[in-house]
Amino acid sequence: MIHVLYLDDEVHNLTAFRAAFRRDFHVHVTTEPTEAVRILRDQPIEVIISDQKMPTLSGVEFFELIMPDYPNPIRMLLTGHADIDAVIDAINKGQIYKYISKPWNELELKGLVQEAADLYHQRQAMASEGEQLMERMSQARTLASHILIMTQKEQNPSEKMDKIGSLAQQINDLLGG
Amino acid sequence: MLVAFTLICFSSSAQKYLGNRLEKLDSISTVEELDIVQLSESDDWQSLETEVPNLGLSDTEQWVRLVLDPSSENGKLIEVQNAGIDELEAYVICDGRLIASFERGVMNSYKHEDAIGTYPTIPIPLVECNRMVVLFSVKSSKPSLLPVRIAGPREVLEDSHARDVLFAAYFGVILVMLLYNLFLFFSVGDKSYLEYTLFIFAVGGTQFVLNGYGTYVNLEAWPWLNLRVTQFFGVFSGLTTIVFVQNFLRLNRYVPWLHKLLSFYFIVYLIAFGLAISGQLIWSYNLINFCAAAIFFFIPGAIITLRKGYKPAGYFLLAFTIFIIAVLVFVLKDTGVIPYNAWTFFALPLGSAIELVVLSLALASRINQLKKESALAREEQLRISQLNERMVREQNTKLEERVKARTSDLEEMNSTMRTTLEELQSTQQQLIQSEKLASIGQLTAGIAHELNNPINFVSSSAQSLRRDFEDMNEVVEALKALNPNDANLPQEVDKIKSHLAQMDIEFTQKEIDELLKGIQDGTQRTSEIVKGLRIFSRMDGDNFIQAHINELIESTLVVLRSNLKNTAEVACFLADDLPAVSCQPGRLNQVFMNIITNAAQSMEQLDRDRSENLVSIHTSQVESPGQSWIEVRIEDNGKGMPEEVKTQIFDPFYTTKAVGEGTGLGLSIVMGILSDHNAEIDVQSEVGKGSEFIIRFPL
Repeated sequence: MIHVLYLDDEVHNLTAFRAAFRRDFHVHVTTEPTEAVRILRDQPIEVIISDQKMPTLSGVEFFELIMPDYPNPIRMLLTGHADIDAVIDAINKGQIYKYISKPWNELELKGLVQEAADLYHQRQAMASEGEQLMERMSQARTLASHILIMTQKEQNPSEKMDKIGSLAQQINDLLGG
Repeated sequence: MLVAFTLICFSSSAQKYLGNRLEKLDSISTVEELDIVQLSESDDWQSLETEVPNLGLSDTEQWVRLVLDPSSENGKLIEVQNAGIDELEAYVICDGRLIASFERGVMNSYKHEDAIGTYPTIPIPLVECNRMVVLFSVKSSKPSLLPVRIAGPREVLEDSHARDVLFAAYFGVILVMLLYNLFLFFSVGDKSYLEYTLFIFAVGGTQFVLNGYGTYVNLEAWPWLNLRVTQFFGVFSGLTTIVFVQNFLRLNRYVPWLHKLLSFYFIVYLIAFGLAISGQLIWSYNLINFCAAAIFFFIPGAIITLRKGYKPAGYFLLAFTIFIIAVLVFVLKDTGVIPYNAWTFFALPLGSAIELVVLSLALASRINQLKKESALAREEQLRISQLNERMVREQNTKLEERVKARTSDLEEMNSTMRTTLEELQSTQQQLIQSEKLASIGQLTAGIAHELNNPINFVSSSAQSLRRDFEDMNEVVEALKALNPNDANLPQEVDKIKSHLAQMDIEFTQKEIDELLKGIQDGTQRTSEIVKGLRIFSRMDGDNFIQAHINELIESTLVVLRSNLKNTAEVACFLADDLPAVSCQPGRLNQVFMNIITNAAQSMEQLDRDRSENLVSIHTSQVESPGQSWIEVRIEDNGKGMPEEVKTQIFDPFYTTKAVGEGTGLGLSIVMGILSDHNAEIDVQSEVGKGSEFIIRFPL
């Protein structure tokens, strides 16, 4: 199940959110930004939803705060009224994926959270795939350097060719041949 | 003039006077009657040797002797052609014997009943005498001129008649002139005619008495007057002449020095008059003669006046030149330079008559001149008044034009000003409106958020509740389906229990509680906001109604809640039991909202935690002498204001906010609203510590 973090100063909103989505997601709610940071640290949060208008800091400010440490979870902004300037700013800076206006539509919100989670997983998958490719590339580079070294050694040519052949086979395997 | 009259001695004929035969006694003591004969033969008689001797003035008798020729002169008359001698006595001595005596002269004329003509005459008695002598005793306060002749009574009478005719003509002229000018005086009303009339009367009167016509008016009946009449007329004619000349020649204007001089003579004449009354007749006469010399000043006076363009002076000059020539002729005749004859004798009356006629002309000319001058003056005045009128008319026209121009300018200006005023008013309205709209926009955003939250969680909670109840219902249905008689009951109960465990019934129950609480809370909050909004925006317009300040502040805070949420904490200290205030609630909310928002904004810019930003609102009832107030204090701990800012915050368009963020009208509108409420506002501020707005509403 998807891990969702919801930050809002309005405790009733939190209750309603949890009641609405607890059957579909792992719902984490809090009114305190510091608590939210703690949850981010402890839980595999995939989607973060924050209210924009809060007494101590705004939603956009909260996102700016956590981005350096937790760049991956997909962020969504919940606004009571269309604070268009803040939203545009946030979208342009890449801080948020979507914004949701209150009162929320449950189905819509559910779909958005799922979309966001999908995006998160796609990104995660792409990121791990990229890592694997990078690993293979570096191994192939290592093997290629072995081949270079071997060509400079004065050895039995047939033995040398066998070893180069097996190394080339390994490189080929690495590059997905 | 009087010199001429007093020197005059009339002679109607050209015959010889006997001056050569007259003898005079130089020194003489008092003479008694008996001594006359002796005196007549005295050795001291000296021949006078002039045709017409002049004995001068004397207050003692002077003696003159005439030796007659008895053969040829018997029965004839001795005529002394001088009517002005005061006392003339004649003694006729025949051969050493006094045979007759006569009293003649001014003082004795009433005794002279057998007088022939106007001059004193002495009849030579028809007696046989070898030697006949006549002694004259002369005493006069006037020059004793002695034109003496001997003629037959008939000749004397004829001559007298002839003279009378001439004088009658002369007096006729005088009278005509006199009446004419008097008439003119009465008809024209010019006082110079009266002066001239008096002048004529004086001249004519002088001639009248000098030539012995006084007897005709029985002057001898008043000896006192008779004796002085010559002096009186002298003074009278002198005075009238001076007055006439002064006014006629306008000496005051043209020759002021002569005017003053004549005024001096006037006084001297008055002195002479006084002397005459007091009996100093000779002194009076001499003084009059002295004054008569003033006539010579008339000529230069007239010339100067004429030169100054006063035409009547020409006639005057002519008249007086003729008169002076006549006087000269008269005087020269008396002194023997020119012969004593009818022409020379009549030169004076003739000259004076001509003078008077010419002066009449002069006067007419003067009147004409005056008329002309007054006509000219009237014309000039008319012209000036016409000019004035025209100028006034032109001026009026100009003024009217200017007034019109000015009026139209003013109207134009007025209309421009009206337009400007209207524009300003509409701009002001627009500004106030835009300020209102700005605050309304700010508000609606806040209120939308404030309403959205409860609506959000109430609607969401309701959906969740349904699901929870569906879960619960499942359990309830399962429980309902249980049959106590069923053998499988324990298995069924276990199934339900495991279902309950699976659905975490405790959590669900707790959640239902929370959701219900949320819904309750949300509806309450929604209704609170709506109520606050209703109070806040009470659109009672500008009507004053009774309202509670606390309520207004609370409603303002409700609508501001979301705006204040991430800027400041608000603490309210509202006094209980504050009386209601007559106010415009909608507008007062604008006041509170403006001040509270400003307070919050002043702290928002500070780089510190929101919890440190504090707005505290106090309400209380305060008393000052004779007045109760409701006091509202709105205090912040923001950055405060320096003095120069504090003094300007209520000025329209003054703002410390960035361009586009504030109209600068907020506090000026606040001021306007508070002044409509007769409320006072006071601001205290300290840089770095915060500001406090204190508002007092009178109760």
